[in-house]
Amino acid sequence: MDAKLVNPFMDAFMNIMPQIGFQNLKRNKISVRDKATLSLGVTVLVGFTKEIRGSVAYNMTDDTAKFIASTMMMGMPVADFDEMAQSAISELSNMLTANAATNLTAMGLEVDISTPSLSIGDNFMVKISSEQYLSIEMEIDGHVFEIDIAVQ
Amino acid sequence: MKKIKVMVVDDSRVSRAMLTEVLSKTNFEICEYAQNCREAVEKYPVANPDIITMDMNLPDADGMECSRQILEINPKAKIIMISAMKDVNLMIRGRAVGISSFLQKPVNANQLMDTLLMVCQNRKGTIEVLRESYVKAFVKVLQKSLFSLAGVHSKVSLCIDESRVLGIDGIAVIVGLTGNPGGRAIVHMDVNTMRNFSRIIMGKEDSEELSEEEAHECIEEAANIIVGRGVSRVNDIFKDKEMRITPPGTICGAKIRIANPKLTSFNIVAKTRLGDFKLNIGFAEGE
Repeated sequence: MDAKLVNPFMDAFMNIMPQIGFQNLKRNKISVRDKATLSLGVTVLVGFTKEIRGSVAYNMTDDTAKFIASTMMMGMPVADFDEMAQSAISELSNMLTANAATNLTAMGLEVDISTPSLSIGDNFMVKISSEQYLSIEMEIDGHVFEIDIAVQ
Repeated sequence: MKKIKVMVVDDSRVSRAMLTEVLSKTNFEICEYAQNCREAVEKYPVANPDIITMDMNLPDADGMECSRQILEINPKAKIIMISAMKDVNLMIRGRAVGISSFLQKPVNANQLMDTLLMVCQNRKGTIEVLRESYVKAFVKVLQKSLFSLAGVHSKVSLCIDESRVLGIDGIAVIVGLTGNPGGRAIVHMDVNTMRNFSRIIMGKEDSEELSEEEAHECIEEAANIIVGRGVSRVNDIFKDKEMRITPPGTICGAKIRIANPKLTSFNIVAKTRLGDFKLNIGFAEGE
């Protein structure tokens, strides 16, 4: 897959996260992966289609998900990754992907995005491509937030 | 299953035929016609429709006056005004009378469905409309596809998913749906069912080896075909819906939960001799 397709997703992250209260953002590394990965605990899948087709997976630990949800809800403590916290993470995934879609459109690649699907569990496999795909590791206040992008 | 009753007030036979055609494959049912204002006011209390579509130009009065008279009988009546012109002035006057919504002629299926959905927006109504207009298409497709893919007969059941969490033990293939309504479909089953289906689809004997990867690919392809056919069927009914599917994402493992915080979703289960082949289909709320 074309490496230039990473930028719309990374730019979306850098653009959206500060707006919802995250200042300390870092890009750690980009790697090429084959077909599947293990979930870190919480994984949100969002599909896109139209001029290009593919999927993006936002992958994080349960702790990171709770930290993000808490910050999004103005610092409200989140002890369990409950329905309200799940909604917050779903909504974040939706915002990030919608913003990435706007960035893709600016590159001349119009896409429509699907509803996010949020999965929770221990050591489950997540497969978003039948070939190789790109994984970007981002960091939010020391928490790892992985963005996996596959384009057909 | 209770259909949502629509009364059509229109003196044009062509318009009536068009509305009948559009609504014939949905959960809306035309329960009564009226050709003019007098007939509408007479028939309304008897027919007791959930929604009225009102043409602006009637032979004996305008649609605005007719709406006013009906709203006098029942102030909660839901009326959609259909007119050749949809200017601001007409809408302001209409709102003042109590008309719920406005459409411009010629009405296309997409707009009409969206407006009807919006006007009868209560959770129960939304569920019924989604079930009848979208989900039932997937029920038929699932049954047919399982037969064409694996040659198995199935007994299919459909129910609303009230749990908001879908438990997965085995494999789940998630296919995104874009368009209006957007959502996602999840084909899921336990490991045994996955292996049974994959063997048949790939034509492998029990003695032949079947790798995990092959089994996953088989179910992914089956999910892609089933959801794709379901969406095509929906698109055939609503000519301009243009629902599309995104490439599948697959998750595998034990005790996985898929949360669906803001979805109205349905569980479709096909019981077969190879195991239960399940499809959960959810639509974004408020669209």
